[in-house]
Amino acid sequence: MTSMLETPTTPVSAIGAPRLLAGVVDHGRVDHARHLALHGPPALRRRGWLVTASHEVGLLGRGGAAFPVSTKLAAMPTGTRCSVLLNGSEGEPASRKDRTLMTYAPHLVIDGALLVADALETDDVTIAVHDPVAHDSLVRACAERTDAGHVRVVRTRDGFVGGEVRAVVRGVDGGRAVPEGRRVLPHVRGVGGRPTFASNVETFAQLAVLSGLGVTRYAAVGPATEPGTSLVTLIGDTLRPGVVEVPNGTHLPLLLPPSPAPVLIGGYHGTWRPTADGLVVERASLRAAGAPLGAGVIARPYAGTCVVDEVVRVARWLASESAGQCGPCWFGLPAVADDLAALAGGAGPDRAASAHRRLDLVRGRGACSHPDGSAMFVGSALEVLAAELSVHQHHGRCGLPPSNVLPLPVGAR
Amino acid sequence: MSTIAVDWTRCDAHGLCSRLLPEEITLDEWGFPLVARRDLDRSLVRAARQAAAACPALALRLTQSS
Repeated sequence: MTSMLETPTTPVSAIGAPRLLAGVVDHGRVDHARHLALHGPPALRRRGWLVTASHEVGLLGRGGAAFPVSTKLAAMPTGTRCSVLLNGSEGEPASRKDRTLMTYAPHLVIDGALLVADALETDDVTIAVHDPVAHDSLVRACAERTDAGHVRVVRTRDGFVGGEVRAVVRGVDGGRAVPEGRRVLPHVRGVGGRPTFASNVETFAQLAVLSGLGVTRYAAVGPATEPGTSLVTLIGDTLRPGVVEVPNGTHLPLLLPPSPAPVLIGGYHGTWRPTADGLVVERASLRAAGAPLGAGVIARPYAGTCVVDEVVRVARWLASESAGQCGPCWFGLPAVADDLAALAGGAGPDRAASAHRRLDLVRGRGACSHPDGSAMFVGSALEVLAAELSVHQHHGRCGLPPSNVLPLPVGAR
Repeated sequence: MSTIAVDWTRCDAHGLCSRLLPEEITLDEWGFPLVARRDLDRSLVRAARQAAAACPALALRLTQSS
């Protein structure tokens, strides 16, 4: 349905002047004519320029792992045997920023893809997308312009773990989208066995903006350590629920007006915190504070509601998303979810001890970051929601209405 | 120095490694190996090689770390 594409269904806004979402906030989908008026044609650069520029602005991958883009680019060989892979699978159910970007600013994503492909002297470009609306918008965008005939837009069908980049590589190649047992990174062996520069779609859009503005203008916004902007998805009791482009360095309390409710930072592989006080949108400082930004999801339940049952539901969902390849994840996550459910139902401290012991058995014992990320979500919930869980222990329930803020994919239990 | 690495996608909890190298490997509640995280003592390298070779799933590797 074309009409669905024209105006955002997820609320979209910006703090300060939007870069990636320029035009989107006011007009909805940015077609090629509007894109050219806003950004001009893609500013093609040599690989050396991109490596230096992305190093100078400290650009980090936007999929969740926050790997330095310059290091990844510098590690790539060049030539027609290379591939470029844009990961738009957005397996994180709470995140909307990637599909919003691809749906409403598809040309910026494509510009980034063409820019990197040109710098690596290849024309093998694949965009892997899960969301059907985002997929259609990208396909339409490729048809709206004359320089993107070789860009391959493919649908992925897999869940959370399937969005991990090595899993996406295997899915794109026609296999089952699960990570390999040995950690071979895409720049060594990626799409079709070729060296592949792979990153999240927002990373590519950021590269397009960086190339167009140059280092100085790109760095005019945000802190010196990580200038520029970031796309975040705000959920629940936040300033503006939806996808927001924020300048890096934005103080999190600005996005989260005062409330006694705890905050989830980084999504379902993220961390619960009692408060956002003192935290800023800056990946290195959030990591140092033990609350990595991940894929940019920030959620907070409304004060006076109980988030415990929702946390149990997410823990069960995380367990169900295990690819089933690695025993400690496959057996451990359901056991941890059972412990958590028992605690929510009034079980005593021995069940909390059991949960902590099993979380230790899950961490670091898998082929991908799913067990570790899930353990972070559950472990931090046990800590931050300790007071709520103790009410549940003594009264069976807490009597507060359920929070109803943490989304799960349709069909998930 | 050598360390023991488990390929978790291959491991099927047969448990032989723990029998052959009890000094380094115990099993968790589901039967999957818990490997001591320190570098392998020289005297155990031989036994570790045997444990890796005996794994029915070829899930164990000895890696050299400098």
